[in-house]
Amino acid sequence: MEQPALGISDGIYAYKHLCEGGIDIHEIVVKKSSFRILLYYIGTICLLATVCRTLLSKEGLYLSSLWSISFAGIVAKCLRCDPVKKESLVIMPTFGVQLEQHFWSGRVRRKFVPIGKILKPVLNECVTPVICYWSLALLLRDEYELMLVFMKLRPPAKMLVPIWNALCAFKNSDSTRRLADPHPKDSACSPESKLKT
Amino acid sequence: MVSDFFFPNFGGVESHIYYLSQCLLKLGHKVVVMTHAYGNRSGVRYVTNGLKVYYVPWRPFLMQNTLPTLFLTLPIVRTIIIREKISVVHGHQAFSTLCHEALMHARTMGYKVVFTDHSLYGFADAGSIHMNKVLQFTLADIDQAICVSHTSKENTVLRSGIAPEKVFMVPNAVDTAMFTPSPKRLSCDEIVIVVISRLVYRKGADLLVEVIPEVCRLFPKVRFIIGGDGPKRVRLEEMREKFSLQDRVEMLGAVPHAQVRSRLISGHIFLNSSLTEAFCIAILEAASCGLLTVSTRVGGVPEVLPDDMIVLAEPAPEDMVRAVKKAIDMLPGIDPQVMHLRMKKLYSWDDVAKRTEIVYDRAMQSSTTNLLDRLPRYLTCGSWAGRLFCIVMIINYLLWRLLEFLQPAEDIEVVPDIGPLQAQIQRDDLCEAQENQI
Repeated sequence: MEQPALGISDGIYAYKHLCEGGIDIHEIVVKKSSFRILLYYIGTICLLATVCRTLLSKEGLYLSSLWSISFAGIVAKCLRCDPVKKESLVIMPTFGVQLEQHFWSGRVRRKFVPIGKILKPVLNECVTPVICYWSLALLLRDEYELMLVFMKLRPPAKMLVPIWNALCAFKNSDSTRRLADPHPKDSACSPESKLKT
Repeated sequence: MVSDFFFPNFGGVESHIYYLSQCLLKLGHKVVVMTHAYGNRSGVRYVTNGLKVYYVPWRPFLMQNTLPTLFLTLPIVRTIIIREKISVVHGHQAFSTLCHEALMHARTMGYKVVFTDHSLYGFADAGSIHMNKVLQFTLADIDQAICVSHTSKENTVLRSGIAPEKVFMVPNAVDTAMFTPSPKRLSCDEIVIVVISRLVYRKGADLLVEVIPEVCRLFPKVRFIIGGDGPKRVRLEEMREKFSLQDRVEMLGAVPHAQVRSRLISGHIFLNSSLTEAFCIAILEAASCGLLTVSTRVGGVPEVLPDDMIVLAEPAPEDMVRAVKKAIDMLPGIDPQVMHLRMKKLYSWDDVAKRTEIVYDRAMQSSTTNLLDRLPRYLTCGSWAGRLFCIVMIINYLLWRLLEFLQPAEDIEVVPDIGPLQAQIQRDDLCEAQENQI
């Protein structure tokens, strides 16, 4: 049964929570901003203008022109819009979670993580040379690195907390089910099935 | 707390920041440490008792210092201060570029700032002149400053021109629970002199090269244990070879801090030959372990220990040998346990934290001034330097305003307060006990 979407919104992102047929879907959507699109076009035009000026000028390629092209390229890269339109987490009870990236071009990238592989979802504080932000990651069995739930987008903690709660509840329900039935039937997701094959 | 010097690096400044933070946490304050990344240690870490440390991924470029960029650290400093709801920014060590930049940004944003100077500097050489100018800039607009000894206070006031009434003297301390004497008293048949320091020029390694052979010649029953590493180690090895002292001078190499106590308690006398010291925590550690100290009379060293616990000498080989002789004669009257108990009463980090708290209270009471009122303070730094500093502060202010426009402070999420770890554990135990009762 589909339940109405719940949402939180801020200036850049909007969070939507949907329940469809027992499946939990948490989406982080990038809001369209005409200001950012304008900045993207300005950056692109600057880069094109710099390249054209260098190619069309009689002096040819000098170090200064290479520097100006590089600088224009960096500015264009900083101002470009993120190709990602939305990222979502689909929680399928007893199966696992699916991480999806939807691009503005229409392309969708999906990654499924079976429930047996997930040890714990964690909220991390990340520090870069200029900013601190929160990220939601999965601690995976037999994996050294954490898996980010939202790889490109950086939603605020107020959007990540309900998703983290949902993942914890999902993981706890699986633990409860395993405790109740310590010898489940073979499934594609259980590690024991891999050993047997 | 902001400094380029923190764990996993070991030293006086690092220990000071760590122990002070732990004691301030015990007093109920919220403490966050900001330093640069050390290798793979980058991001947010929690150390003992839930002390939060930001290892900002700015790589060190020279002697553990981050590259001085003036304005590039503004975004990260601003973010950390806002998200952690900081009220006072406390910078440590004049040689730390991260400290100076963080204090500048904090002042621009209107926060209260406190600075602790841990070292003595000269006035004559090029490095000291530049360092002192940077210090003048930072301390021109500081709320309060702390020095670790009276000598250090005098030095800081002269170097920076800060008003002496703004400078407090809060000494370092020692963890007497960690540095305890040996339960069994050592026999005086063989006298062991311990030296544990970095083997560099500043720590008087060249003096040791002169003193050790003379002491070994005059006192046949004296043996040396030298712990530490550095560029002067080669000279000490050569001295050992030259005078055939291999069986009387033991070189340990770098000694991890956790093993310092075990090395100290194997000796009777601790020898410190530093050419300059603002305070010298090493002699506190030695005294806490029950060793009699022989030290050069430099900087703040005479203020550290009572006269019956330390023998002072001028930084010259002859005087040092005379002091070692005097210390050997004093040895039978030294009781390590009594010395340790005295150190427990004289120095404690809890006392340092309480005194630092008073400094913070004084800083919080100082008046808040805007940029136009603060700019004239920088003009006193020099005719050209003053104007340059004013321009730097104006640019910093404008950049801050730009950041406020691009990312308002309201958009920076505040980190939830979890409190010190012990309080958290007690809360969890209480909840569990209540649930069991129900």
